[in-house]
Amino acid sequence: MPASSTDGLLAAVSNDLAAAVDTVGRAVVAIHARRRIPASGVLWQPGVVVAAHHTIQRDDDITVTLHDGTTVSATLAGRDPSTDLAVLRLAAGAAGSEAVAPASEAPRVGQLVLALGRPGASVTASLGIVSAVGGEWRTWQGGTIDRFVRLDLAVYDGFSGGALVDTAGKVLGINTSGLARATAMTVPSSTVSRVVGQLLARGHVARGWLGIATQPVRLPPALRQSLGTKAEVGLMVVNVEPDSPAERGGVLIGDILLTLDDRPVSDPGDVLAALGGERIGQTIAVGVARGGRPETLTVTVGERPRPERSRSERPRARR
Amino acid sequence: MPAAESILRGVPAFDEALGKLAERIGRVTVHVRNGRRSAGAGVVWLRSGVIVTNAHVAAGSRTEVVLPDGRALTARVTARDPRRDLAVLSIGGGELDAALRADARGLRAGELVVAVGHPLGVSYAASLGVVHRVPGAAHGPAGWLHADIRLAPGNSGGPLADSSGRVVGINAMIVGGLGIAVPTHVVERFVHEVEREAGGAGDVRAA
Repeated sequence: MPASSTDGLLAAVSNDLAAAVDTVGRAVVAIHARRRIPASGVLWQPGVVVAAHHTIQRDDDITVTLHDGTTVSATLAGRDPSTDLAVLRLAAGAAGSEAVAPASEAPRVGQLVLALGRPGASVTASLGIVSAVGGEWRTWQGGTIDRFVRLDLAVYDGFSGGALVDTAGKVLGINTSGLARATAMTVPSSTVSRVVGQLLARGHVARGWLGIATQPVRLPPALRQSLGTKAEVGLMVVNVEPDSPAERGGVLIGDILLTLDDRPVSDPGDVLAALGGERIGQTIAVGVARGGRPETLTVTVGERPRPERSRSERPRARR
Repeated sequence: MPAAESILRGVPAFDEALGKLAERIGRVTVHVRNGRRSAGAGVVWLRSGVIVTNAHVAAGSRTEVVLPDGRALTARVTARDPRRDLAVLSIGGGELDAALRADARGLRAGELVVAVGHPLGVSYAASLGVVHRVPGAAHGPAGWLHADIRLAPGNSGGPLADSSGRVVGINAMIVGGLGIAVPTHVVERFVHEVEREAGGAGDVRAA
């Protein structure tokens, strides 16, 4: 069978893909922190491994296998369930200096990408494309992710916590199946770097907190008129935590939350969006309807208490 | 607006190369049938008419093989090994195009691979994927070649080839969406054992 002249092209593409896997694969590690198969992680800085929070099922007794087969112990520096990221520190003196080169550009729809993992001794690769890219979004647990990046790519064992790589070997982010049901997603590198910085510094990602639970309610036309609002939906306060910023600021059960800093809120997610970590210690203007009349309360944003590791935070069985 | 050819750049050449590659792999790929039912695919391993397929494809002592040129021949099932999921068929007397081979242990994760077979009864269908995990040292399926590629029943026994058209494995099963292929070195060993037992010509060598 004579080789055809176009053979070179396929071989060149194939070589480029394998070279990208080889380059980044050195920074992709296996993490032993759950039963059954190991999870994937990525050396984000020398000695610092990023993983998917939902795959790290214990806080102690964690070991990491590097690309050269050596296994070293690691400690959990912190986790951020809201972005499904966790950070591990390798034991001092351990190898693991092959950190990745995060891409500075945003992924593009249609771009060829490789998902790398290491659910065991050897590196694994899957090929696909970026299927959707959007702006900043908020996870259901309130985390802020700089860009929405959805993949058209098969998800196998070791997907979560692995690296999304472009054909030039640049790391576009950390993959996870833990943020959206049955959808392969990537937490972009800029978000990973931000969360890694916070977790290394503080062990957790601080978030603002009011201490209320709310439920959307439809505002009848008469009430809208008397309040002078165009909003059709408000958020009924159904719980106020004792000794919380909201209680200290005078928020009562039965108040209908309409605005935060004059911006309308109609979904509990809007409240989370107004409570980034940077707001802690600052005041926020809470606009409510009380007894049919508008009122503005001033609340000093607190820091969300860190939950004891609860069952709900425990990862579900995902890859 | 720029002309269409400047938008597409390398893509038409890639398509053409892929088409030619699938065609070349197809020339060493056969249909294996039990009666009227299509059972799977097979690979022409030796010019002398030795064909390799899966043990689960070649069920009886005889089976029908349809060559790429359309000739249907009765093949003798010379040997079966369900553990390695391999079978050797002999159609005798032929001067066939035999597959070029490469050792799957030399592959790297991310390399392009192409499968040719008859998935769900579609003759000579090609699929494109990448090496997911190179075969390890383990015996049995744990030591097989894992590919991120879309396969279906009918790919069984057919070739998984690299970007130069060299066969690196025999597609055997789908596990969790992954294509699992028996790597070439395992096939070579099996064919060698069978040929030696049969006292046949020792034309068993990796290409």
